[in-house]
Amino acid sequence: MSILGLELRRSAAAGAALLALAVGVAALYLIPGRWSEGWMPLVLTSKEYLILLWPLALAAGAWQGRREHRAKVGELFATTPRSRARRMLPVLVAMGATLGLAYLLVLVAGGVRIASTASYFPPDVVVIVLVGVLSLVAAAWLGLGLGRLLPALVTAPVLAVAGVLLVFFTAIMRPWWLGAVLSPVYGSSMWYPFQTIDSGVTGALAIWMGGLALAGVLLLVGGSPRARVAAVLPVLLGLGVATAIVPRDKAALLAPVDPVARELVCTDDAPKVCVTRVHANVLESVTPLAREGLAVLAKLPGAPTEVHEYARAIDEENPAVRDDVVVINVRIDDRGGLALPDVVVLEVVSGLGVGYTGDCPRDPAVERAAAYHLLGREPVSDLELYPEMIWEEPELNAEAVALWQDLQELPPAEALSRVAAVRAAILACQDSTGLLSR
Amino acid sequence: MRTVSTAETAATIHPWAIHAQALRVRAGRHLAVDGLDLSLGTGVHGLLGPNGAGKTTLIRALATVAKPAGGKLTLLGTPVDGRADLRPARRALGYLPQHFGFYPRFTVREFVAYMAWLKEMPKADVPAATQRAIDRVGLAAKADARLKTLSGGMLRRAGIAQAIVNDPQLLLLDEPTVGLDPEQRLDLRELLRDLGTDACVLVSTHLVEDVVAACTDVVLVNEGRLLWQGAPEALGAQGDAGHPGDSPAERGYSALLRRHRAEATR
Repeated sequence: MSILGLELRRSAAAGAALLALAVGVAALYLIPGRWSEGWMPLVLTSKEYLILLWPLALAAGAWQGRREHRAKVGELFATTPRSRARRMLPVLVAMGATLGLAYLLVLVAGGVRIASTASYFPPDVVVIVLVGVLSLVAAAWLGLGLGRLLPALVTAPVLAVAGVLLVFFTAIMRPWWLGAVLSPVYGSSMWYPFQTIDSGVTGALAIWMGGLALAGVLLLVGGSPRARVAAVLPVLLGLGVATAIVPRDKAALLAPVDPVARELVCTDDAPKVCVTRVHANVLESVTPLAREGLAVLAKLPGAPTEVHEYARAIDEENPAVRDDVVVINVRIDDRGGLALPDVVVLEVVSGLGVGYTGDCPRDPAVERAAAYHLLGREPVSDLELYPEMIWEEPELNAEAVALWQDLQELPPAEALSRVAAVRAAILACQDSTGLLSR
Repeated sequence: MRTVSTAETAATIHPWAIHAQALRVRAGRHLAVDGLDLSLGTGVHGLLGPNGAGKTTLIRALATVAKPAGGKLTLLGTPVDGRADLRPARRALGYLPQHFGFYPRFTVREFVAYMAWLKEMPKADVPAATQRAIDRVGLAAKADARLKTLSGGMLRRAGIAQAIVNDPQLLLLDEPTVGLDPEQRLDLRELLRDLGTDACVLVSTHLVEDVVAACTDVVLVNEGRLLWQGAPEALGAQGDAGHPGDSPAERGYSALLRRHRAEATR
């Protein structure tokens, strides 16, 4: 009978790992839309759920670490020749391996759903997942050590609550670089699907977690008060080295961009349609719709000839407006396919193909009336088209409909020339108000 | 054919399994064992004495849990002085504490095997040794039951099974008969006689008749010192009809204690 097998069956390891697996998979599948876009979104979302799994592993470790005290076997075990360190080794392996495996299985459970749609697999994914595994192992081992140090009934639940608070508040604390070292979930809130985590941040977290893991082992194995004090050493050492190597620049700390993921992947034939590499799987679905939109705009003089996906990073300037390129958002649904295909044509046509920069005056009612005139149908509120929209100025659509009706009554050539004038005004950064109803 | 380790075939060079000279052991701040001289070899030794005599503290010191505060203690030839490596002695040690702690989720077999592992038995020998230990205490039918499902008497026997799994040369049982029914006590006596043929077995108990029936030797301690040591028959000769007790041994036990107390007050 192997002692490791015995500990796997009888310790808290299997139960804690099953619980972690259930919590992780349930959290993932509660909102699959958060990670359906690809591998990195899945990895970042799973990392975010460490806010539940890390404290769970910590508490499970503390519960298990209390076992000898609870069962009062210390007297009997003290008479045996096997050292405390050797006695604890199977427990450490069992707790660490099962909880680490549980995290991997959470990712596998998510991966199964996106494997057929996710096209881009960045190598960072592997490292981030492995450090996530290390974080859970560290939590379990630290818990084991603390459970032995403070073998009270309340230790495990208190550590669970404290763990959640610690992970959360270190993730949002200032300075960012310290949060990046301390919190196992740092950098997991996603702004765009081409986001990544800087390898310096991942490395610093790995060192910090390694220090915590070692401290847990020392607390669990060491018997004397001096050994317990020695457990502070790897914590300080880990913190020192991690803060020394963690990047301090904002670009690495705040939603860093994976440039390869953001690169545009385009159709070979014209009119050119381009999406970011993370969305390459929907290029085929987007292309005919985007081209339909370009065809609608083609009625205007100097109409744009390409459609690109909007891919701005959080801290960047808006890209300069090009009058030959329409920039659109590409939305992905729960299953990793193209979401809201019906609005793609409208996306291309709205704003008459000119992107927003925030610097120029825009008149949404005029633009909506002009765009719907080109589309040949009555304007509708964006609230009816985009499920994520919750508010729009109530008069906006009524105003647009009125302008649109005026356009309908004009001779087609006159109407088209007014719409062309609106586009020209927007491109020239001039106010388009009143251009439709001269 | 199994390999035989050199330790197994080495000649026994220590004359006594337990050899204590002027041994002093603290229980908390109190010197519970205070100047005890004791030499025990192969056989079953019954450790008798009133409550507070230092029996449990003595057994804890012999089990290498309590550190001696003074005097000399040698177990199986290994001096217990804080310097020598106790592991060889501990490998040959079996111990049932007064309060036997166990993992309730483990089965009897798992716990006994776990203890065999802690006692650093060769891995290949563990399954057979575990089964044999469980058989010897009569728990074969419950071998795969969780410890938390066992009655008090069964737990006591599981505790004895873990103590004997490594065929100890020095077996220390602190009140092994607690919770056993009369029939189980008879079985235990049988087992003790069997174990005592080639090991030093020290059994602490309050039941004088168990000692007489199962032991080759009686050790009577009081106030941390050895009061009397001799054969069970000789214990009976210490008392007469005037002493309290329902058997010659019980009368001898009370006679020895009364005589000692009388001397102490004089």
